Amino acid sequence: MRAQTSTVRTVECCGMMSGKDAALMRMAVEKILMAGMALAISLPLCAQTSAYRAPRAEGGKPDLNGVWQVLNEANYDLEGHNARPAMAVRPGPYGPVPAAQVLALGAVGAVPPSLGVVEGGEIPYKPEALKQKQENQANWLSRDPEIKCYLPGVPRATYIPQPFRILQSASQLFIAYQYAGAVRNIYLKDPGPAPVDSWMGQSVGRWEGDTLVVDVTGFNDSTWFDRAGNFHSDALHVTERYRRTSPDVIAYEATIEDPKVFTRPWKISMPLYRRQEKNAQILDFKCVEFVEELMYGQYRKNPLSR
Amino acid sequence: MRTTFWKIALGVAVVVIAVLIDGAGVKAHHAFGSEFDANAPVLLKGKIAKIEWVNPHTWIHVEIKKDDGSKETWMVEGGSPNTLLRRGANKSTFPEGTDVVVDGYQARDHSEKRANARNVTFPDGRKLFLGMTGTGAPDPEKFDADKAKTLNQTEKDKEKEQEKKQ
Amino acid sequence: MRRLLTACTGMTVLLLVNAHLGTAQTATSKSNASKVRRTADGHPDLQGMYDLATLTPVERPMGAPAAYSKEEARKRESAAAKQRQQGDQALDGNRTAPPKGGDGSVGAAGNVGGYNTGWLDPGSSLTVVDGQARSSIVIDPADGRVPAMTPAARQRTMTAAFRSRPTSDTQESNDPGLEKAPGAYDDPERRPLGERCLLGFGSTSGPPALPDYFYNNLHQIVQTPDTVMILSEMVHDARIIRMNAEHVPKNIRLWMGDSVGHWEGDTLVVDTTNFSNKTRFRGSTENLHVVERFTRVDDKSLLYRFTIEDPDTWSRPWTGEYTWPATDGKIYEYACHEGNYALVDILKGARLREKEAAAPRGSTRQ
Repeated sequence: MRAQTSTVRTVECCGMMSGKDAALMRMAVEKILMAGMALAISLPLCAQTSAYRAPRAEGGKPDLNGVWQVLNEANYDLEGHNARPAMAVRPGPYGPVPAAQVLALGAVGAVPPSLGVVEGGEIPYKPEALKQKQENQANWLSRDPEIKCYLPGVPRATYIPQPFRILQSASQLFIAYQYAGAVRNIYLKDPGPAPVDSWMGQSVGRWEGDTLVVDVTGFNDSTWFDRAGNFHSDALHVTERYRRTSPDVIAYEATIEDPKVFTRPWKISMPLYRRQEKNAQILDFKCVEFVEELMYGQYRKNPLSR
Repeated sequence: MRTTFWKIALGVAVVVIAVLIDGAGVKAHHAFGSEFDANAPVLLKGKIAKIEWVNPHTWIHVEIKKDDGSKETWMVEGGSPNTLLRRGANKSTFPEGTDVVVDGYQARDHSEKRANARNVTFPDGRKLFLGMTGTGAPDPEKFDADKAKTLNQTEKDKEKEQEKKQ
Repeated sequence: MRRLLTACTGMTVLLLVNAHLGTAQTATSKSNASKVRRTADGHPDLQGMYDLATLTPVERPMGAPAAYSKEEARKRESAAAKQRQQGDQALDGNRTAPPKGGDGSVGAAGNVGGYNTGWLDPGSSLTVVDGQARSSIVIDPADGRVPAMTPAARQRTMTAAFRSRPTSDTQESNDPGLEKAPGAYDDPERRPLGERCLLGFGSTSGPPALPDYFYNNLHQIVQTPDTVMILSEMVHDARIIRMNAEHVPKNIRLWMGDSVGHWEGDTLVVDTTNFSNKTRFRGSTENLHVVERFTRVDDKSLLYRFTIEDPDTWSRPWTGEYTWPATDGKIYEYACHEGNYALVDILKGARLREKEAAAPRGSTRQ
């Protein structure tokens, strides 16, 4: 430890190694990089700072490029829950049963169980807001924006169980989601407050060490956090953190702040897994087409039975 | 002589565009003839209650006072907001209470208080977004063909040009 | 612990800076085109925000030369500017409502006058390629027009069934109206893709990506070693181009097709197949094949060239090109479907008209 400490002091004090060592190192680095690799050299020093050190993308930051997807039940309900008969239920003689509109789906329409992804377990609603959430949940079919293929917002876009692609270069950072073709351009330079509200918000990213921190503001109040009626106002502010913890995993966290709805900020966390298939990619899920019958079918010249 | 469907369509489009351009400066968009009723013209003089800066069309909510003194709110349909946002508009640009005059035609379903924003002006007749169109309309008399040739005017260049003219 | 991290980061940055400088120098000496900025892997950096708006139409107007003289270009751009100014002119604050029975605007304006031109951003100049102010985007065939369709394609596109379905190149202004195209309002599926918020009007995302002559022509390019992404503002469509990859299987079809890319020198070549049968660009089939070429012209612009082929539609391939100038503008969210009140009113309106038309004489109307 002592030898390492003295090396650290040297580095810290002078900003670089001794002149001769620096020249040798530069030659070695240039040789490797000339072969076309723009990866950082993993020095013994650095190997000790964290369990995993991600390769670097162009621009020198941990490389988040790839096709990623969650493996959890967060989109059903962020909070821990037992399995449920359906997302829309009604009172039965011995407990809730699926609502009539979803009855035909049978087990396909049931909700799987989850230990939850909310730190502390419960979402800290203000009392009136909690009533609103319960009303939302009771009226899921008519209110969940996901049903109408509306843009999912943040962080829901992350854990809708469909893949998304992160694109990262030296000058740009972008996320393309398969679900509804949702997109997010992440500004690397703060453009100032968003001029108008939007479904996906305005994302501004910065690096704190090896963690990408994304500040998202400028939301409208129209998205939900999940299929359980969890919601927010237009005062929503989301802070995401992305950090690679292994070759195929990003540790993802999102802190939710909304003083109109919650008593304090709260946090969710989950791993993002790299899709392993050789040709992993996002395809089309343009669900707008799929909801036309639902939303406009009654206005056809010859409507189908409903 | 057989002509292709596309040649016919092109012909129609050319005529349509030509007529639109010669019209009273208003441009058209999809299906307006189906959405609105040409037999139900409206003139709204009131205050902006809210602007929904949404796509594909901005909706301006205008609160008017009816003859009997009661208030009524109409929604009038404009264009996409994105162009205006790029010219500097934001949700505070036209605050609640701004007086406007809107002429247009009511939605076919007359139970809906909706109309197209055929013209949206201030009470003095200036078009609502006039101040923001300064980025792309050089004075034809002073037009510089060489400058246009570079064709890579960024928004900043356009702004500078406008400033020079003022 | 933090000092260690700082040291590591500092060292890494230092090495990367050295490496980057080294690599850049190598790329420059290799290519001799040192003006073009490059990514670390040596390819031209195509990234940025571009505004595709232009006065140049897709096809050459009858009688026009391939390139306008300075005088002619100036005249056209002046005329466009004049129209803009006319559209921005103030009205009478004490004006009356527009005339009952409509204001005479035809076509898609539907006799109700649409909305003010101030909402539009249709481009103010002709596209300039190789110093020429072009009269059309199509450059091959030499007459600047899309070639003739095959006889089979002509038959196919002339049927009522075909004409009742939209195509991806439909412009905002292309609405024949209730009288001219019966059935055009029967179902949402008959409405233009842009009106349904499935794709932007006029093949703005394509491919091929064409200018929209109304507004929202911004496109963003993001470039990584194995993927290039092109975002079209309408309808927030992100086209993913997988570099040096194979196309997806034949049964997988996509709204913007499946794009794979590779570099030929300093040109990005993108090959797109596997189109869905719902787009029918300019009447084509799902066998449409588009090859695009992106080249950086200078620090502020790209040259975009595309070749279209579909032996089931056109007698020969055809090619177009135009310049993509960089812009400082930002792309804003175009959440079309989420705000699509209009489509409901359009369909409802058609149903009301039908009811009125069917109502016996003398019955009260709303």
